[in-house]
Amino acid sequence: MPVPEPLHPVARELAPPADGLQSYPPVARWDDWEEYDALAWPKKVSRRYRLIPTICFNCEAACGLLAYVDRERLKIQKFEGNPAHPGSRGRNCAKGPATLNQVEDPERIRYPLRRVGRRGGGQWQRVSWSDVLDDIAGRVRRALIEGRRNELMYHVGRPGHELVYHQRILHAWGIDGHNSHTNVCSASARAGYAFWHGYDRPSPDHANARFILLFSSHLETGHYFNPHAQRIIEAKKRGARVCVVDTRLSNTASMADWWLSPWPGTEAALLLAMCQVIIRERRYDREFLRRWVNWAEYLRDEHPDRPPTFETFEALLPDLYAEYTPEFAERESGVSAAALVEVAREIARAGAAVATHVWRNAAAGNLGGWQVARALEWLVVLVGAVATPGGTAPSFYHKVIPAPPLMPPPAKVWSELLYPREYPLAFFEMSFLLPHFLREGRGKLEVYFTRVYNPVWTNPDGLSWLEMLTDETKVGLHVCLTPIWSETAWFADYVLPMGHASERHDLMSQETHAARWIGFRQPVLRVALEREGQRFATTWEAHAAAGLGEVWEEDEFWIELSWRVDPDGSLGVRRYFESPYRPGEKLTVDDFYRWIFEHSVPGLPEAAAQEELTPLAYMRKYGAFLVEDGVYRTHEKALSAADREGAIVDPVTGVLVKGGAAIGVDVDGQAMVGFPTPSRRLEFYSRTLKEWKWPEYALPGYIRSHVHWSQLDRARNEFLLLPTFRLPTLIHTRSGNAKWLYEISHSNPLWLHPRDAERLGVGTNDLLKVHTEIGSFVDKAWVTESIRPGIIACSHHLGRWRLAEETGGDRWSTALVDLKTDGPGRWRMRTIHGIRPFPSEDPDSGRIFWEDAGVHQNLTFPVQPDPVSGQHCWHQKVRVERAGTDDRYGDILVDTGKAHDVYRRWLNLTRPAPGPGGLRRPLWLPRAYKPDPSSYRLEP
Amino acid sequence: MRYGFVIDQTRCIGCHACTVACKEENGVPLGAFRTWVKYIEKGEFPHTRRYFAVLRCNHCDSAPCVTICPTVALYRRRDGIVDFDRDRCIGCKSCLQACPYDALYIDPATHTAAKCHFCAHRVERGLEPACVIVCPERAILAGDLDDPASEVARVVAREQVQVRKPEQGTRPKLFYVGADAATLTPSLQRPAAASLWGQAPPAPLWTAASGDGGPRVPKAVDALGRTVYDVPHEPRPWGWRVSAYLWTKSVAAGAALLAALGGLLGWTPAGGAALPLLALVFLLATTVLLIADLKRPDRFFYILLKPNPRSWLVWGAWILLAFGVVATLWLLAGLAGRPGLLALLAVPLVALALAAAGYSAFLFAQAEGRDFWQSPLVLPQLLVGAVLAGAAVALLAHGPLAGLRGLLIAALGVNLLLVLAELYTPHTNLDAGAAARVVTQGPGRAAFWGGVVVGGTLVPALLLLAASPAPAAVASLLALAGLYCWEECWVRAGQAVPLS
Repeated sequence: MPVPEPLHPVARELAPPADGLQSYPPVARWDDWEEYDALAWPKKVSRRYRLIPTICFNCEAACGLLAYVDRERLKIQKFEGNPAHPGSRGRNCAKGPATLNQVEDPERIRYPLRRVGRRGGGQWQRVSWSDVLDDIAGRVRRALIEGRRNELMYHVGRPGHELVYHQRILHAWGIDGHNSHTNVCSASARAGYAFWHGYDRPSPDHANARFILLFSSHLETGHYFNPHAQRIIEAKKRGARVCVVDTRLSNTASMADWWLSPWPGTEAALLLAMCQVIIRERRYDREFLRRWVNWAEYLRDEHPDRPPTFETFEALLPDLYAEYTPEFAERESGVSAAALVEVAREIARAGAAVATHVWRNAAAGNLGGWQVARALEWLVVLVGAVATPGGTAPSFYHKVIPAPPLMPPPAKVWSELLYPREYPLAFFEMSFLLPHFLREGRGKLEVYFTRVYNPVWTNPDGLSWLEMLTDETKVGLHVCLTPIWSETAWFADYVLPMGHASERHDLMSQETHAARWIGFRQPVLRVALEREGQRFATTWEAHAAAGLGEVWEEDEFWIELSWRVDPDGSLGVRRYFESPYRPGEKLTVDDFYRWIFEHSVPGLPEAAAQEELTPLAYMRKYGAFLVEDGVYRTHEKALSAADREGAIVDPVTGVLVKGGAAIGVDVDGQAMVGFPTPSRRLEFYSRTLKEWKWPEYALPGYIRSHVHWSQLDRARNEFLLLPTFRLPTLIHTRSGNAKWLYEISHSNPLWLHPRDAERLGVGTNDLLKVHTEIGSFVDKAWVTESIRPGIIACSHHLGRWRLAEETGGDRWSTALVDLKTDGPGRWRMRTIHGIRPFPSEDPDSGRIFWEDAGVHQNLTFPVQPDPVSGQHCWHQKVRVERAGTDDRYGDILVDTGKAHDVYRRWLNLTRPAPGPGGLRRPLWLPRAYKPDPSSYRLEP
Repeated sequence: MRYGFVIDQTRCIGCHACTVACKEENGVPLGAFRTWVKYIEKGEFPHTRRYFAVLRCNHCDSAPCVTICPTVALYRRRDGIVDFDRDRCIGCKSCLQACPYDALYIDPATHTAAKCHFCAHRVERGLEPACVIVCPERAILAGDLDDPASEVARVVAREQVQVRKPEQGTRPKLFYVGADAATLTPSLQRPAAASLWGQAPPAPLWTAASGDGGPRVPKAVDALGRTVYDVPHEPRPWGWRVSAYLWTKSVAAGAALLAALGGLLGWTPAGGAALPLLALVFLLATTVLLIADLKRPDRFFYILLKPNPRSWLVWGAWILLAFGVVATLWLLAGLAGRPGLLALLAVPLVALALAAAGYSAFLFAQAEGRDFWQSPLVLPQLLVGAVLAGAAVALLAHGPLAGLRGLLIAALGVNLLLVLAELYTPHTNLDAGAAARVVTQGPGRAAFWGGVVVGGTLVPALLLLAASPAPAAVASLLALAGLYCWEECWVRAGQAVPLS
């Protein structure tokens, strides 16, 4: 007897949408959109929302978000993707929607706090923004007046738009005070690219590629994960082949046609072998090399006796790379020669549609890692894939940085704490050496700002940072600008709550694909309240009105602070913080972005006018603007007659010089923009490296890493520790407040090959003790076929800790630890307990089921600065043993005295300035917040 | 119109965006997942690969969760979406057992069942589900399978697609492109002792894997995929209360049977109050256990007021109710000394006692996710179990009467044969076999061999050979304990095999 299907009383026939289901509400209805409450469903309870675009802040990609602000409750219901965003195209990774956790985190900091008692003692007192600003401004003002400009430092976790917009602030103050995290991240890759083309990043046009070669894991992380992942898979579905070079099996490598797992640090050898195949088989783009590579300069400098023709260069090429045979590369890297030849031929077959990327990975891990980027770009140059459709362009081709109003001139000052003379080619500030510089008495800091920066946890040798931060003779005032508690914020004098993704203004532009776009981050609750007719002088007041506490944003903070540094304008600072629209009055964020959108974004005023909006209103509505699409071969842009007028063409080099600056290059009789290098061409041969005392590295080559296999004694259980890889759901130290992300990943075991596990006599979950040069840590094993034998690997995302039970670290993600010293510099950390459920306004905090917080390996790493790029070389030579009976999971031992000795040893590898002309640094080489050229001269 | 999903694993990069977007859209609590990504690794270095699969409700056209749900809290809409109504759910967890895909969970906030519902609240507004729009790779498609022009219909027609567990006959409407078989098939997975970047999900108390959660050093070349990431799942929806309910129900039914038949056959005093009283007490206990096992005991009466006529939970409730009424009448008739009435009630009482003992076979058979429970031997075993329990309590109530001793020995023997047949005759599939091995060789072996076979069958059978009261009483208690051990083994083992 067939029983009829039960029909729920509310089950009903749908009127199918006429044109199927839509992905997003139509833009016309973003300001008043109704949706059913998911929790009340199947009861139809309607809720009304304003949809306000903003930008994600969980990695560098700057993907678009669309905040659904509940009109009744004035609360963000959710974040979806912003379909108007050209980079992310309405789609996000797991970290996008997890922004909601960060906004609603019951552990977040809601009010400005001032330290009470000793620094790091954990006692805090709520203070008003006004008191905070007055105190800090007073100290800054005194330092400026007393000429202690180098005692002011702003240290940022991730420089985004700040590069120019924050430069405006620090240069208005007249200081050289910008410090960043870059040298623990990407400096080597940047240096490698800059030596080639003067720009410091690659921008692959994945979507149109026929071959994609990744030294990165862009299907799960990195600059710019989501936008790149979309386009990589798009290309793959259209038939592109993908090769991933990564020692551990990443998710990206899993999706690739080839996974090559080299011994870390041998990647340049592997790449040069591919180059050799292409050179030997004469499958390179001859015409491209002839036009755009500085072979002529190379011949002039190195082979002055030979005829200066391309044919001479071509004849020399095979010999230059004769030693890098595929068999040599196999011996070095462990990757089969046959695979290298196969991939090289595929690359040649793809021709100018070869998209490549290296960012951290091999470049960040190894001494000489910058040569990996250089060797990779050599491959791109050989097949003529520079800035072609499907090729790899310099980053700045695909980026716009709209000029702000009234840019101050560069400061005439040089900070040796940022760019010390030992590292004249350091690509960014020698940030991670700061504690050692202060320890050596190279300077001190009166006011030290950290912003979304957690050096105690992120940097190698974090306990030296802790020692520096707790020494008030070295750091006078530590101001921590942060949305959340962190290991570093604990050692601040002021902890100042700054907004998350949806709580502040920002202008973003990233090289996600062959186009140029801007994205506009905005405080969505303030925008929503202002649309309801309310007005606020500051974003923190809007947030207070929305029940968020006094969470502020950096833009307004710096305007307000600068204003108070120079209230009467006598220091010449204040004028840069006056409104361009209301002379003499204080600049507002509306003024600032209004001016930029009206003056500096080509096409935006016209697009806005078509919708009868002001440019600012247009950006508030859409959150993004596509400036130019399909951007290719920018270097071939012809110089206009106006550009050429008054320019002198160097008869030997063909470089066009105007007003003392190179503006282009003559190629086959045509004046083109070229590249921002001294030769205006792609620099296969770097005269800069030669002149700055590294002649042996003048060509793309292979430097044996500090962790080359020949350096390890396997019989002593020495291993290479690969400590750099990211997970798809986390982002450095910024995601500990996202419960949905920690629910997925909360542990960083040591990846270990079964053969090594057998040798050590351990299985998965058994504890291992890993000895570095300065200490040790205890972690559990994860026995896997996804890692090369001889290597252990550990993700850097986990191992967060806090020192007090109820504050100082997000309890979703931190273990409570006991940290103490056994004498000067001898530190010992032990976990008291792991992650536990805790009571809060969010019932989910009582449902935490994971205890594991991971292990903080970075504390046990000494600094290992590359003498050329200045990049910290992350890979560690370690000794591994089974943990003893006294060892417990998460144990850390460190001797910061030894750490300083290691620093001194690496310092000895440098070849200090001055270089040619008595300079601290080549003038042409990019440098963040470039000071006035006069400050480049090193006084003898 | 039939909405369905296509998930293209050749595009999926395992990024978990769908997992998190779903949590955000639907307010899914920590520890629960409406959609999740499973990672499997295969191969030996350097020929290793990780495979992903996005797992969730399959919106079956023939959805076992809808069939078993006693209160129509789960229902299939006419547009093909299998939706749920938390306001009707009584938290009986039977849907968790019925679904072969592990799609349901009990929401810790509301204590009601929940799962992917195709974002029906969005579909109603003409919008795609949250997981679809977030996916960076457009790996998840949602649309009308009945519309040949829709993208989902075109993919299903033009690509090689597969569904999970087609043999379950559920007619899933989630089609996979390019999924590795091991990601979709739990029996092709070797569970890991931990996960790639999380601690191991809490293991069920009894699991079909080897005791320590699998080999700690993975065997490289293996037909099986190695699970390297998974989310925690409800380890065992039904626990001791359900085993105990089966047992108390057997006692109640058996006591009633013996009350009605024992008198007729002269085994027990006709019209005695002890057995009907015992039947009623154990029936009450059965009801209490059933209600106590609900996550929303406050809603127990929904089963009568909002019934789903296809659910054996509903039929069971009516049977137990009727059985209770007749047993009460029987008791009163006996106490009032009305043999005529007893004669009249005998047939309905026997019929209802058998129905009460046996209906669970049909209920457990509706738990389509649990292959071990899909055996034709369940009904005879339950009936024999009731006779066994009845004989045992009758012996306790009336002393070592020869007929009762013989009946209990016979029941013990037949029960053991049925149980051994259940465990040792060839199983219809791998999962049922794996569950049987959990009992015979795995975590259930002590309870089975010690509790069921030796302590619960052989020892009492031997004791019953003696005619004196004390050994018979001990034998009866042991037999009852043995029966309980079996219910425990059977209920737990059925849930020991992972569904996803």
